Amino acid sequence: MTASDTVDIQIPEESLQPIEPGLRGWAWVRRHLVSTWYNAVLTLFMAGVFAVALWWVVRFLFVTDFEILRVNLALMMVGGFPRDQLWRPSAALIITALLIGVIAGMATASALERARQSEVEFTAAGPLTLVRRFWPLLVFIVAVLLLTQTLTPWLIAGASLVSGVGGYSIGRVLPSAVRRFGLVLVVVLLVAIYAVLSGGGIGWDQWGGLQLNVFLTVAGIALAFPLGLLLALGRRSTLPALRVASVAYIEFIRGVPLITLLLMGIFVIGFFLPSGLRPGNVTRVLIAITLFESAYIAEVVRGGLQSVAKGQVEAAQAVGLSPWKNMRLIVLPQALRNTIPAMVGQFISLFKDTTLVIIVGMIDILGASQAANAQAPFLAQGLHLVTLPFVGFAFWVGSYTMSREARRLERKLGVGER
Amino acid sequence: MTERAQVFSDATQSTGEAIILLESVDKYFGDFQALANINMRVGLQEVVVVIGPSGSGKSTLIRCINRLEKHDRGRIVVDGVELSDDIRNIQVVRRETGMVFQQFNLFPHLTVLDNVTLAPRHVRQLPKREAEELGMKMLERVKIPEQAQKYPGQLSGGQQQRVAIARALAMQPKVMLFDEPTSALDPEMIKEVLDVMVELAQGGMTMIVVTHEMGFARAVANRVVFMSDGQIVEVGTPEHFFTDPQEDRTKLFLSQIL
Repeated sequence: MTASDTVDIQIPEESLQPIEPGLRGWAWVRRHLVSTWYNAVLTLFMAGVFAVALWWVVRFLFVTDFEILRVNLALMMVGGFPRDQLWRPSAALIITALLIGVIAGMATASALERARQSEVEFTAAGPLTLVRRFWPLLVFIVAVLLLTQTLTPWLIAGASLVSGVGGYSIGRVLPSAVRRFGLVLVVVLLVAIYAVLSGGGIGWDQWGGLQLNVFLTVAGIALAFPLGLLLALGRRSTLPALRVASVAYIEFIRGVPLITLLLMGIFVIGFFLPSGLRPGNVTRVLIAITLFESAYIAEVVRGGLQSVAKGQVEAAQAVGLSPWKNMRLIVLPQALRNTIPAMVGQFISLFKDTTLVIIVGMIDILGASQAANAQAPFLAQGLHLVTLPFVGFAFWVGSYTMSREARRLERKLGVGER
Repeated sequence: MTERAQVFSDATQSTGEAIILLESVDKYFGDFQALANINMRVGLQEVVVVIGPSGSGKSTLIRCINRLEKHDRGRIVVDGVELSDDIRNIQVVRRETGMVFQQFNLFPHLTVLDNVTLAPRHVRQLPKREAEELGMKMLERVKIPEQAQKYPGQLSGGQQQRVAIARALAMQPKVMLFDEPTSALDPEMIKEVLDVMVELAQGGMTMIVVTHEMGFARAVANRVVFMSDGQIVEVGTPEHFFTDPQEDRTKLFLSQIL
């Protein structure tokens, strides 16, 4: 090849050149919104769509009569919980805020300590950061408070805030020797929440509304996750009996709709147990949800286990780690980190699937919305148009918060960067 | 002493007792024979360099020594313990042999120091503080104590491989196995890893090194083993091996790489 044969590298036309960074003002608009006539048309069209959407939302918020929500707010939040016992969920809320505060405080304290040891800069998140992080949740809380007719909910919200901040301060100042037993404190508070909620002869079966959705989600995750982990390990076991049992379980459960399992939970579990041991309906539903979720979680975990490079296992074997420690210290931490996106997707699905309990006659938040529309003053007035967006908003807040927090956790654990 | 071992002992410079012994070892991957009738004796404090074309069974050979691969026939004895299906024997051997991989295989979710202290803490059951003292000593030995709190992903390839060496050394093994330790490194980083390995060899560590670094072989090897098609073709001292190879396959290989 001679010099004259070399290809002449032409300067690409303007639209193919790299976009210079820091384009501002009119230059930015010209480049990004109206660079060609069809882009300009598209921009105008989308601007129109956004304007109409915004108009609808504003009109909905300011023109709609929210009476149905105001009257039924308690029904939406706690379902059929005895009305003279409403202090119980309120107290539970305040303790929950304390619990979250303590955990956050302890986490911050230990992060600060680790940062000091390894001489890395670390500043604890201030209130403004928290507002930015959890704004959907805040909007929801404000919306609910604006719908209240008495002062009590405002007082409860205030008390929760105080208790949360108090818990945080406690968590921050606990010495690290005590922090090691933080799990005990967490368990004590969880038991306290349960005791307050179910004291006075109120069983799970009287729980309802959003509280029921949240409870089924949290308890479902807490129970299904360990079970799913065991199933995933069972599926990869070298013992044929364990492997076959795990595969059979996973494939059977995944082949059955959740509604079928819920109905079986309600109508079939009772048959197998003596009448004294028959659990209440919420327990039965929780069992069905746990069995269902664990199969899916098992598959998510299996994907994570397969993503861990073979060299990792070999390196751990080569230094003499036993198979169990190899799994616990090397494989699982990496596998679970890799499953965060899929796992959170599963959790979000579960959160929304908890509305299926209306099939078996429970009044969760969606059931409450249906019930409200069946009340005499609101019957047949098309007020689903008011209640369903509210229900949807509640689920969106929960799902979006989970999704955001998961992405934060991913970044923190450095998923995708080796 | 078997007939083959006799042959090898001629080329062995060190006169110490044998610490690794392989007798008539065969290894198959399906129908493919990866190792064919391997006999080898490695003395205490000896440095053996294994060379050969790719696919010749070099890596398989050293991976059999700590049972990352299971041999199909023959005997492998490491420091008086024969490798069998007995998991306890395997654990004993693995505790006495350190291994360094081509791809480093550091644990990405642990800091450098945690990588190094993991085995002392969880296999030797050392308390955390003692393990960390030991770990820092090992990191000083490979000359990167200042990286202790970083994660492997933040280090260069050469630094990572030195951490991998420190991790293996932290178990205070009697034998170190190196599986192409510099093959995945950028050229400018090879030297820093080889320097550490040379120091180790001079310090009296028993080493089996699979490598293409002929300079390293010349400098520190007591013996060079040439493998091809799963067999040991020729064994000799570096001088003999590089200046006066006997076998045609050895001559061909050396002519291709030198």
